[in-house]
Amino acid sequence: MVQSKKQKYTFLAFCLVPTFIMFAIFTLYPLFSGLYYSFFNWSGSSQNKEFIGIGNYIRLFNDAIIPNTIIHDYFLVVTKVIGIMVLALFFAVALTQLKIKEAPFYRIVFFFPNIMSVVVIGILWTFIYNPSMGLINSGLEFIGLESWTRPWLGSETWALPSLVLPSIWAGIGLFMLMLMGGISNVSKSYYEAAEIDGANQWQQFWKVTLPLVWPQIKISILYIVITTLNGSFVIVQVMTAGGPNNSTHVMGSYLYQQAFVQYNFGYGATIGVMILVLSLITVLLLQFLMRRDKVEY
Amino acid sequence: MNKLFKNRRFLWIAMLLMVALVAAACSSDDNADGDDGVEEDAAETGGSPETATEGGISGDLEIQYFVGGYGDSWWKEVIADFKEAYPDVNVIEHAGPNINDEMRSRWISNDPPDVVYIDGAGSSETQMVEDGQLMNLTEWVEGIELEGGDKLVDSFIVQPGKFDGEIYSLPLVFDTWGTWYDRALFQEKGYEVPTDFESFMSSMEEIKEGEGIDPLVTSGQHPYYFLRGMLFPAFAAAGGEELLADLITGAEGAWTSDATLETMKKVERLQEEGMFDSGLGALNHTQSQMNFLLHDNAFIPVGFWLPNEMANDIPDGFDFGFIPSPMQDPGEPFAIVPDLRPLAIAENAENPDAAKAFVEFAFTREYAMAFSEHTGAIMNITEVDLTENENVPGYLTEANAMINDPEQVQIYEKPHPMSADLETPIGNALMSLMLGNMTAEEFVEEAEKAAADYRN
Repeated sequence: MVQSKKQKYTFLAFCLVPTFIMFAIFTLYPLFSGLYYSFFNWSGSSQNKEFIGIGNYIRLFNDAIIPNTIIHDYFLVVTKVIGIMVLALFFAVALTQLKIKEAPFYRIVFFFPNIMSVVVIGILWTFIYNPSMGLINSGLEFIGLESWTRPWLGSETWALPSLVLPSIWAGIGLFMLMLMGGISNVSKSYYEAAEIDGANQWQQFWKVTLPLVWPQIKISILYIVITTLNGSFVIVQVMTAGGPNNSTHVMGSYLYQQAFVQYNFGYGATIGVMILVLSLITVLLLQFLMRRDKVEY
Repeated sequence: MNKLFKNRRFLWIAMLLMVALVAAACSSDDNADGDDGVEEDAAETGGSPETATEGGISGDLEIQYFVGGYGDSWWKEVIADFKEAYPDVNVIEHAGPNINDEMRSRWISNDPPDVVYIDGAGSSETQMVEDGQLMNLTEWVEGIELEGGDKLVDSFIVQPGKFDGEIYSLPLVFDTWGTWYDRALFQEKGYEVPTDFESFMSSMEEIKEGEGIDPLVTSGQHPYYFLRGMLFPAFAAAGGEELLADLITGAEGAWTSDATLETMKKVERLQEEGMFDSGLGALNHTQSQMNFLLHDNAFIPVGFWLPNEMANDIPDGFDFGFIPSPMQDPGEPFAIVPDLRPLAIAENAENPDAAKAFVEFAFTREYAMAFSEHTGAIMNITEVDLTENENVPGYLTEANAMINDPEQVQIYEKPHPMSADLETPIGNALMSLMLGNMTAEEFVEEAEKAAADYRN
């Protein structure tokens, strides 16, 4: 069928314009209004706002808590990427390659945390970490490691590392499924060929599986990085509210505290701009670092 | 696709759309800034001419009240009575535990409710006054009388907070932080109820040995529980209202003063001698209160609302005992720093007459008595005799008697609540001190720094 130019453009406009309008309302407008408010001294609770130029940005650079929140965020990014990718890859390979009979059951069990709200996960783990009746401390006592027990979330040293475990636990399932999809797309003949050439399981994993699921791994890593930078706020807010003494504040939770607890909405918006800029830089950097030619055998 | 984006017309349309959107978004703000929007709203609701009742009060009256530890039964009663007295007023209630957040957009868009009870998370009287959201009540309040003919301004237990000498809110609830213990446990085991800091320490020493627990707990997630519940009275006892006011307003040198350091040394001692619950850093306020009820700890600083808030979880035989926080030196009276929850009228109230009528209606000795029955706390009105009333909990009549005896308890007023901008960093440093990661000297330096930031 031959389409006239006009028909073609009408159809394209029909597809694109509504999406673009939605995108503009729900993404571009908040983005620009966030940027706009970052130049104001505004409590966020009334109409009074005062234009202060880059005052909030100057404050951002002089705020001693900000560098810590950035470090905490990237600590979570690094530990989560390593933890989730290693475990998800391990489970994915195990469930697809090792021909375990109960594979479907495990698939569901591992995916389970993903259908739970992060808030529920946070509350659940707060109980697990509870110093007096929590599972972890009682477990340690049970196996005779009483000296290891501590108020996990109540300690300035241990609170942040304690947040890693629930984050990893909650993240494995989704990425495991993504990787399983990738692995099952790898043709069996490659493994047969590798076996004939004398490759053992490890070599098959490193030389066949890994290069062929690299696109999935790359997307998973990017996704973990982005969701951590934007979303670790929830688990922090639920489990520690940034405390004790700011030792678990990430950029998002500090933004929330400034905007809605301390009534510095303008400054909160400034922190939001910082999160945006850092996320963009991180993603671009990762894209560059993980660039790798597509492998085809 | 490439061709499509190269097509200039399409690009132009897309750009125009975006510009229009951004412009529309910005301009809606500008409009709302002016007075036009408000007048329109007022004309809409007040427009329909209604027959005036006695006093000429009619129309819609919107009331925003936070429902927390005190529950809402007192409010329901007062509002029901008000409706009977003013049948032409249509009362619209906005209430709940998150009502401050839910109503925020109304306040931002200059369309506030008429009457607001300022309490709970997400509300700040200081912020509202600074943003010009509350009506100046200085002159009007002079004319209000209680049922016996006493002037309201002469009958407050604690006078309204003043901002530059003007009154913007009337303190409705007289609450005070103090230290709770289980009277039944103390009587059974013969533990001493503290009367000053030294006896507090010795009592906790005894409990530590007798019960094998860390005696003192508070919420580590919300360090202001300890700050307001223990330290404000301690500062007041050490340096009077002047020191307290300087600390709250962040005056230069207040946090590093000798009296402050001495008080913080006491906190350091509490930490060093292991009086604090070792896990308190992670606890939110309900968890800490639960620990207290389960006898994992023996003392907890909370306000009068504790028994009401935990009503569903109180173990059998638990008997609430309340003392003002015993942080003062031996020989001194206890110190109490009241925490007031005010009622205010919005500057842009659409029905100010009805709002005033309601506020006047609520401030009576009768409702003050009812308040103590419903909530277990005290309304900020003098000469309300709770002793004869069986429905008022025992700890309250006892505390009330104590508060009214200047030999035992000295009341110190604070100028206004501490701003969250100062309270948050100080609370964080305080947490570090309580966990043993900071010394008292380091704490006062940190706090002084926070105060300097706050002043700028």
